[in-house]
Amino acid sequence: MKPRILLAIFAVPLALIIAAVPENTTHAFKLTPSELLEEANSGVQYYSPDEIADMIIKEDPSLQLIDVRNADEFEKFNLPGAMNIPLTDILSEDWQAYLDQDIRINIFYSNGSLKSDKAWMITRQLGYENNYVLMGGLNYWVETIMNPTSPNATSPDEEFAKYDFRKGAGSALGGSAGAMNESTTSSKPALPVIRSKPKKKRVQGGC
Amino acid sequence: MDMGPLIAYEIISENTNLFFAFLIGIGFGFVLESSGFSSSRKLVGIFYGYDTVVLKVFFTAGITTMLGLLFFSLFGWIDLSLIFINPTYLYSAIIGGIIMGAGFIIGGFCPGTGVCAAAIGKIDAMMFLVGIFIGITFFNETYPLWEGLFKASYLGTPKISELFGISDGLMALLFVLMAMAAFWLGERFEKIKKPVVY
Repeated sequence: MKPRILLAIFAVPLALIIAAVPENTTHAFKLTPSELLEEANSGVQYYSPDEIADMIIKEDPSLQLIDVRNADEFEKFNLPGAMNIPLTDILSEDWQAYLDQDIRINIFYSNGSLKSDKAWMITRQLGYENNYVLMGGLNYWVETIMNPTSPNATSPDEEFAKYDFRKGAGSALGGSAGAMNESTTSSKPALPVIRSKPKKKRVQGGC
Repeated sequence: MDMGPLIAYEIISENTNLFFAFLIGIGFGFVLESSGFSSSRKLVGIFYGYDTVVLKVFFTAGITTMLGLLFFSLFGWIDLSLIFINPTYLYSAIIGGIIMGAGFIIGGFCPGTGVCAAAIGKIDAMMFLVGIFIGITFFNETYPLWEGLFKASYLGTPKISELFGISDGLMALLFVLMAMAAFWLGERFEKIKKPVVY
Protein backbone atom coordinates (compact mmCIF):
# COMPACT_ATOMS: atom_id res chain seq x y z
CA MET A 1 0.00 0.00 0.00
CA LYS A 2 1.24 3.46 -0.86
CA PRO A 3 2.17 5.68 2.08
CA ARG A 4 -0.22 8.28 0.67
CA ILE A 5 -3.16 5.89 0.96
CA LEU A 6 -2.08 4.74 4.42
CA LEU A 7 -1.91 8.34 5.61
CA ALA A 8 -5.33 9.06 4.14
CA ILE A 9 -6.81 6.06 5.97
CA PHE A 10 -5.69 7.55 9.30
CA ALA A 11 -5.91 11.30 8.74
CA VAL A 12 -9.22 11.64 6.92
CA PRO A 13 -11.40 9.83 9.52
CA LEU A 14 -9.67 11.74 12.33
CA ALA A 15 -10.31 15.02 10.52
CA LEU A 16 -13.95 14.02 10.02
CA ILE A 17 -14.28 13.42 13.76
CA ILE A 18 -12.65 16.71 14.66
CA ALA A 19 -14.85 18.55 12.14
CA ALA A 20 -17.98 16.99 13.61
CA VAL A 21 -17.39 17.55 17.33
CA PRO A 22 -17.99 20.91 18.99
CA GLU A 23 -14.92 22.87 20.01
CA ASN A 24 -13.78 22.29 23.54
CA THR A 25 -15.14 24.90 25.92
CA THR A 26 -14.46 23.05 29.14
CA HIS A 27 -11.43 25.06 30.24
CA ALA A 28 -13.57 27.71 32.02
CA PHE A 29 -13.90 25.37 34.98
CA LYS A 30 -10.81 24.15 36.73
CA LEU A 31 -11.98 21.40 39.05
CA THR A 32 -13.82 18.19 38.38
CA PRO A 33 -16.90 17.56 40.54
CA SER A 34 -15.08 14.91 42.55
CA GLU A 35 -12.11 17.23 43.17
CA LEU A 36 -14.46 19.95 44.37
CA LEU A 37 -16.35 17.52 46.59
CA GLU A 38 -13.11 16.36 48.13
CA GLU A 39 -12.01 19.94 48.86
CA ALA A 40 -15.41 20.91 50.23
CA ASN A 41 -15.51 17.87 52.51
CA SER A 42 -11.97 18.33 53.77
CA GLY A 43 -12.96 21.77 55.10
CA VAL A 44 -9.80 23.48 53.89
CA GLN A 45 -11.89 26.55 53.10
CA TYR A 46 -12.68 27.31 56.75
CA TYR A 47 -11.07 29.85 59.04
CA SER A 48 -12.24 29.66 62.66
CA PRO A 49 -13.66 32.79 64.37
CA ASP A 50 -10.61 32.78 66.70
CA GLU A 51 -8.19 32.98 63.79
CA ILE A 52 -10.18 35.79 62.19
CA ALA A 53 -10.54 37.73 65.46
CA ASP A 54 -6.80 37.47 65.94
CA MET A 55 -6.16 38.79 62.41
CA ILE A 56 -8.61 41.68 62.85
CA ILE A 57 -7.05 42.76 66.14
CA LYS A 58 -3.54 42.56 64.74
CA GLU A 59 -4.77 44.51 61.70
CA ASP A 60 -3.31 41.89 59.42
CA PRO A 61 -3.04 43.66 56.04
CA SER A 62 -3.50 40.43 54.14
CA LEU A 63 -7.00 39.92 55.55
CA GLN A 64 -9.97 40.97 53.44
CA LEU A 65 -13.36 40.16 54.93
CA ILE A 66 -16.13 39.89 52.34
CA ASP A 67 -19.75 40.06 53.42
CA VAL A 68 -21.83 38.05 50.95
CA ARG A 69 -25.21 38.97 52.48
CA ASN A 70 -27.31 41.60 50.76
CA ALA A 71 -26.62 45.32 51.16
CA ASP A 72 -29.36 45.91 53.79
CA GLU A 73 -27.99 43.29 56.12
CA PHE A 74 -24.49 44.60 55.53
CA GLU A 75 -25.57 48.14 56.52
CA LYS A 76 -27.07 46.89 59.78
CA PHE A 77 -24.05 45.01 60.97
CA ASN A 78 -20.69 44.07 59.56
CA LEU A 79 -17.30 43.02 60.75
CA PRO A 80 -14.56 45.67 60.90
CA GLY A 81 -12.91 46.26 57.50
CA ALA A 82 -15.39 44.10 55.62
CA MET A 83 -16.52 44.87 52.11
CA ASN A 84 -19.90 43.89 50.70
CA ILE A 85 -20.21 41.59 47.69
CA PRO A 86 -23.75 40.20 47.72
CA LEU A 87 -23.83 36.56 46.60
CA THR A 88 -26.13 37.49 43.71
CA ASP A 89 -23.46 39.87 42.35
CA ILE A 90 -20.52 37.58 42.79
CA LEU A 91 -20.06 36.90 39.08
CA SER A 92 -20.10 40.61 38.25
CA GLU A 93 -17.02 41.93 36.43
CA ASP A 94 -16.69 44.66 39.08
CA TRP A 95 -15.58 42.19 41.73
CA GLN A 96 -13.41 39.93 39.68
CA ALA A 97 -10.21 41.80 40.55
CA TYR A 98 -10.97 41.35 44.26
CA LEU A 99 -11.82 37.68 44.02
CA ASP A 100 -9.20 36.55 41.51
CA GLN A 101 -5.96 37.77 43.06
CA ASP A 102 -2.98 36.39 44.90
CA ILE A 103 -2.22 39.09 47.46
CA ARG A 104 -4.93 38.92 50.10
CA ILE A 105 -6.77 36.26 52.01
CA ASN A 106 -10.44 36.74 51.22
CA ILE A 107 -12.78 35.52 53.95
CA PHE A 108 -16.41 35.15 52.95
CA TYR A 109 -18.98 35.40 55.70
CA SER A 110 -22.76 35.44 55.96
CA ASN A 111 -25.20 34.79 58.82
CA GLY A 112 -24.59 31.08 58.80
CA SER A 113 -22.02 29.60 56.46
CA LEU A 114 -24.46 28.56 53.73
CA LYS A 115 -24.16 31.67 51.53
CA SER A 116 -20.44 32.01 52.11
CA ASP A 117 -19.94 28.35 51.23
CA LYS A 118 -21.81 28.98 47.99
CA ALA A 119 -19.57 31.96 47.27
CA TRP A 120 -16.49 29.85 47.98
CA MET A 121 -17.70 27.03 45.72
CA ILE A 122 -18.36 29.39 42.83
CA THR A 123 -15.02 31.16 43.08
CA ARG A 124 -13.18 27.89 43.60
CA GLN A 125 -14.82 26.41 40.56
CA LEU A 126 -13.72 29.46 38.57
CA GLY A 127 -10.19 28.52 39.58
CA TYR A 128 -9.61 31.50 41.92
CA GLU A 129 -7.22 31.05 44.81
CA ASN A 130 -7.10 32.66 48.26
CA ASN A 131 -10.82 32.60 49.00
CA TYR A 132 -11.95 31.15 52.34
CA VAL A 133 -15.00 30.98 54.59
CA LEU A 134 -15.59 32.14 58.15
CA MET A 135 -16.58 28.93 59.92
CA GLY A 136 -20.15 29.10 61.20
CA GLY A 137 -20.66 32.63 59.91
CA LEU A 138 -21.78 35.59 62.01
CA ASN A 139 -23.98 33.42 64.24
CA TYR A 140 -21.02 31.38 65.41
CA TRP A 141 -18.92 34.58 65.54
CA VAL A 142 -21.36 36.18 67.99
CA GLU A 143 -21.58 32.98 69.99
CA THR A 144 -17.83 32.48 70.33
CA ILE A 145 -16.23 35.93 70.14
CA MET A 146 -18.90 38.38 71.20
CA ASN A 147 -20.54 36.33 73.96
CA PRO A 148 -18.14 33.59 74.92
CA THR A 149 -19.37 31.18 77.59
CA SER A 150 -16.97 30.39 80.37
CA PRO A 151 -15.81 26.78 80.38
CA ASN A 152 -16.57 24.39 83.23
CA ALA A 153 -14.28 24.51 86.20
CA THR A 154 -13.06 21.02 85.29
CA SER A 155 -12.13 21.99 81.71
CA PRO A 156 -8.52 21.73 80.61
CA ASP A 157 -6.31 24.81 80.68
CA GLU A 158 -6.51 25.28 76.91
CA GLU A 159 -10.23 25.91 77.21
CA PHE A 160 -9.58 28.68 79.70
CA ALA A 161 -6.87 30.18 77.52
CA LYS A 162 -9.28 30.17 74.59
CA TYR A 163 -11.98 31.72 76.73
CA ASP A 164 -9.63 34.46 77.89
CA PHE A 165 -8.62 35.21 74.33
CA ARG A 166 -12.24 35.33 73.18
CA LYS A 167 -13.24 37.58 76.07
CA GLY A 168 -10.40 39.96 75.23
CA ALA A 169 -11.06 39.84 71.51
CA GLY A 170 -14.78 40.26 72.07
CA SER A 171 -14.38 43.40 74.11
CA ALA A 172 -11.80 44.77 71.70
CA LEU A 173 -14.22 44.21 68.84
CA GLY A 174 -17.21 45.63 70.71
CA GLY A 175 -18.73 42.40 72.03
CA SER A 176 -20.78 41.89 75.18
CA ALA A 177 -18.32 43.98 77.18
CA GLY A 178 -18.98 47.01 75.01
CA ALA A 179 -21.86 48.00 72.75
CA MET A 180 -22.53 45.84 69.68
CA ASN A 181 -20.83 47.29 66.65
CA GLU A 182 -23.68 49.14 64.94
CA SER A 183 -22.07 50.04 61.69
CA THR A 184 -22.73 53.29 59.96
CA THR A 185 -22.35 53.88 56.26
CA SER A 186 -19.50 56.30 56.92
CA SER A 187 -17.41 53.54 58.42
CA LYS A 188 -17.56 51.54 55.21
CA PRO A 189 -13.95 50.77 54.34
CA ALA A 190 -12.37 52.27 51.30
CA LEU A 191 -11.98 49.58 48.70
CA PRO A 192 -8.36 48.54 48.65
CA VAL A 193 -6.52 48.82 45.39
CA ILE A 194 -5.66 45.33 44.42
CA ARG A 195 -3.49 44.46 41.52
CA SER A 196 -5.08 41.69 39.55
CA LYS A 197 -2.66 38.89 38.98
CA PRO A 198 -1.27 38.77 35.47
CA LYS A 199 -3.15 36.49 33.14
CA LYS A 200 -1.40 33.57 31.60
CA LYS A 201 0.29 34.83 28.50
CA ARG A 202 0.77 33.26 25.15
CA VAL A 203 4.06 31.48 24.90
CA GLN A 204 6.55 33.47 22.90
CA GLY A 205 8.51 31.67 20.30
CA GLY A 206 8.59 30.74 16.69
CA CYS A 207 11.06 29.49 14.20
CA MET B 1 -8.12 20.06 33.25
CA ASP B 2 -5.78 22.00 31.04
CA MET B 3 -2.21 20.91 31.24
CA GLY B 4 -0.63 22.79 28.44
CA PRO B 5 1.13 24.65 27.01
CA LEU B 6 3.70 23.47 29.51
CA ILE B 7 5.42 26.86 29.92
CA ALA B 8 2.27 28.97 30.24
CA TYR B 9 1.07 26.65 33.00
CA GLU B 10 4.49 26.80 34.63
CA ILE B 11 4.83 23.03 34.54
CA ILE B 12 8.28 23.41 33.01
CA SER B 13 10.65 26.36 33.13
CA GLU B 14 11.98 28.33 30.16
CA ASN B 15 15.30 26.54 30.47
CA THR B 16 13.73 23.08 30.50
CA ASN B 17 11.80 24.22 27.46
CA LEU B 18 15.05 25.04 25.67
CA PHE B 19 16.32 21.58 26.55
CA PHE B 20 13.20 20.00 25.00
CA ALA B 21 13.67 22.27 21.98
CA PHE B 22 17.23 20.91 21.70
CA LEU B 23 15.98 17.29 21.72
CA ILE B 24 13.21 18.08 19.23
CA GLY B 25 15.76 19.90 17.07
CA ILE B 26 17.92 16.78 16.94
CA GLY B 27 14.85 14.78 15.95
CA PHE B 28 13.99 17.34 13.28
CA GLY B 29 17.51 17.22 11.84
CA PHE B 30 17.41 13.42 11.86
CA VAL B 31 14.12 13.37 9.93
CA LEU B 32 15.42 15.93 7.42
CA GLU B 33 18.56 13.92 6.78
CA SER B 34 16.78 10.56 6.61
CA SER B 35 14.20 11.98 4.17
CA GLY B 36 17.06 12.96 1.89
CA PHE B 37 16.60 16.69 2.50
CA SER B 38 20.31 17.36 2.67
CA SER B 39 20.39 16.93 -1.11
CA SER B 40 19.56 20.18 -2.85
CA ARG B 41 18.57 18.27 -6.00
CA LYS B 42 15.86 16.51 -4.04
CA LEU B 43 14.74 19.76 -2.41
CA VAL B 44 14.37 21.79 -5.59
CA GLY B 45 12.58 18.85 -7.23
CA ILE B 46 9.42 20.36 -5.84
CA PHE B 47 9.89 23.40 -8.09
CA TYR B 48 10.48 21.33 -11.22
CA GLY B 49 7.91 18.68 -10.42
CA TYR B 50 10.16 15.61 -10.45
CA ASP B 51 10.20 15.05 -6.68
CA THR B 52 7.48 16.12 -4.25
CA VAL B 53 8.87 14.62 -1.07
CA VAL B 54 9.32 18.10 0.43
CA LEU B 55 5.62 18.76 0.02
CA LYS B 56 4.76 15.37 1.49
CA VAL B 57 7.00 15.61 4.53
CA PHE B 58 5.97 19.14 5.52
CA PHE B 59 2.29 18.71 4.73
CA THR B 60 2.23 15.43 6.69
CA ALA B 61 3.98 17.08 9.64
CA GLY B 62 1.46 19.93 9.45
CA ILE B 63 -1.68 17.81 9.43
CA THR B 64 -0.32 15.49 12.14
CA THR B 65 0.36 18.45 14.43
CA MET B 66 -2.93 20.10 13.56
CA LEU B 67 -5.01 17.01 14.31
CA GLY B 68 -2.98 16.32 17.44
CA LEU B 69 -3.53 19.82 18.84
CA LEU B 70 -7.24 19.79 18.04
CA PHE B 71 -7.71 16.42 19.73
CA PHE B 72 -5.65 17.51 22.74
CA SER B 73 -7.89 20.55 22.99
CA LEU B 74 -10.98 18.35 22.68
CA PHE B 75 -9.75 16.19 25.56
CA GLY B 76 -9.00 19.34 27.57
CA TRP B 77 -5.25 18.69 27.65
CA ILE B 78 -4.16 21.94 26.10
CA ASP B 79 -5.48 25.49 25.99
CA LEU B 80 -5.23 26.51 22.34
CA SER B 81 -5.68 30.20 23.19
CA LEU B 82 -2.22 30.09 24.79
CA ILE B 83 -0.42 28.55 21.83
CA PHE B 84 2.06 30.85 20.11
CA ILE B 85 0.91 32.01 16.70
CA ASN B 86 3.43 33.86 14.61
CA PRO B 87 2.00 37.38 14.24
CA THR B 88 1.23 38.43 10.68
CA TYR B 89 2.82 41.51 9.15
CA LEU B 90 1.37 41.27 5.66
CA TYR B 91 4.06 43.03 3.60
CA SER B 92 6.86 41.37 5.54
CA ALA B 93 5.26 38.01 4.90
CA ILE B 94 4.90 38.61 1.14
CA ILE B 95 8.33 40.17 0.59
CA GLY B 96 10.01 37.75 2.95
CA GLY B 97 8.31 34.87 1.16
CA ILE B 98 9.62 36.04 -2.21
CA ILE B 99 13.18 36.47 -0.90
CA MET B 100 13.08 33.13 0.90
CA GLY B 101 11.67 31.39 -2.20
CA ALA B 102 14.28 32.93 -4.49
CA GLY B 103 17.03 31.97 -2.05
CA PHE B 104 15.62 28.46 -1.86
CA ILE B 105 15.69 27.99 -5.66
CA ILE B 106 19.09 29.65 -6.16
CA GLY B 107 20.81 28.08 -3.17
CA GLY B 108 19.03 24.75 -3.26
CA PHE B 109 18.42 24.71 0.49
CA CYS B 110 16.15 26.22 3.07
CA PRO B 111 17.82 27.31 6.32
CA GLY B 112 17.12 24.08 8.23
CA THR B 113 18.19 21.76 5.45
CA GLY B 114 21.20 24.00 4.78
CA VAL B 115 22.47 23.35 8.31
CA CYS B 116 21.67 19.65 7.90
CA ALA B 117 23.62 19.37 4.67
CA ALA B 118 26.53 21.40 6.09
CA ALA B 119 26.61 18.95 9.01
CA ILE B 120 27.22 16.02 6.64
CA GLY B 121 30.00 17.97 4.96
CA LYS B 122 28.45 19.48 1.83
CA ILE B 123 30.51 22.48 0.77
CA ASP B 124 27.70 24.16 -1.20
CA ALA B 125 25.57 24.06 1.99
CA MET B 126 28.39 25.69 3.96
CA MET B 127 28.55 28.46 1.36
CA PHE B 128 24.75 28.74 1.64
CA LEU B 129 25.08 29.27 5.41
CA VAL B 130 27.72 31.95 4.84
CA GLY B 131 25.19 33.65 2.57
CA ILE B 132 22.51 33.40 5.25
CA PHE B 133 24.76 35.05 7.83
CA ILE B 134 25.68 37.83 5.41
CA GLY B 135 21.95 38.38 4.79
CA ILE B 136 21.15 38.38 8.51
CA THR B 137 23.95 40.84 9.26
CA PHE B 138 22.91 43.11 6.40
CA PHE B 139 19.27 43.10 7.52
CA ASN B 140 20.13 43.83 11.15
CA GLU B 141 22.63 46.58 10.37
CA THR B 142 20.22 48.34 8.01
CA TYR B 143 17.10 47.55 10.08
CA PRO B 144 16.09 51.23 10.62
CA LEU B 145 15.72 51.56 6.84
CA TRP B 146 13.27 48.69 6.69
CA GLU B 147 11.46 49.12 9.98
CA GLY B 148 8.45 50.95 8.48
CA LEU B 149 7.97 48.31 5.81
CA PHE B 150 8.77 45.47 8.21
CA LYS B 151 6.01 46.44 10.60
CA ALA B 152 3.48 47.60 8.00
CA SER B 153 0.00 46.11 7.75
CA TYR B 154 0.00 44.30 11.08
CA LEU B 155 -2.89 41.84 11.22
CA GLY B 156 -2.35 40.28 14.65
CA THR B 157 -2.74 36.51 14.65
CA PRO B 158 -5.53 35.82 12.17
CA LYS B 159 -6.65 32.29 11.41
CA ILE B 160 -8.06 31.13 8.08
CA SER B 161 -10.96 29.49 9.92
CA GLU B 162 -11.87 32.90 11.41
CA LEU B 163 -11.65 34.53 7.98
CA PHE B 164 -14.09 32.00 6.53
CA GLY B 165 -16.19 31.94 9.69
CA ILE B 166 -15.97 28.17 10.06
CA SER B 167 -14.87 26.03 13.00
CA ASP B 168 -11.25 25.00 13.44
CA GLY B 169 -12.32 21.38 13.04
CA LEU B 170 -13.95 21.96 9.65
CA MET B 171 -10.92 23.92 8.51
CA ALA B 172 -8.75 20.99 9.58
CA LEU B 173 -10.85 18.61 7.49
CA LEU B 174 -10.55 20.86 4.43
CA PHE B 175 -6.80 21.11 5.00
CA VAL B 176 -6.41 17.32 5.24
CA LEU B 177 -8.41 16.86 2.03
CA MET B 178 -6.25 19.52 0.40
CA ALA B 179 -3.12 17.63 1.50
CA MET B 180 -4.45 14.37 0.07
CA ALA B 181 -5.24 16.06 -3.23
CA ALA B 182 -1.78 17.65 -3.29
CA PHE B 183 -0.08 14.31 -2.64
CA TRP B 184 -2.07 12.66 -5.40
CA LEU B 185 -1.26 15.45 -7.85
CA GLY B 186 2.38 15.38 -6.82
CA GLU B 187 2.70 11.68 -7.57
CA ARG B 188 1.05 12.22 -10.95
CA PHE B 189 3.68 14.84 -11.78
CA GLU B 190 6.48 12.56 -10.62
CA LYS B 191 5.27 9.92 -13.09
CA ILE B 192 5.17 12.38 -16.00
CA LYS B 193 8.65 13.78 -15.34
CA LYS B 194 11.55 11.51 -16.03
CA PRO B 195 13.24 10.24 -12.85
CA VAL B 196 16.34 12.06 -11.68
CA VAL B 197 19.29 10.26 -10.17
CA TYR B 198 20.79 12.11 -7.21
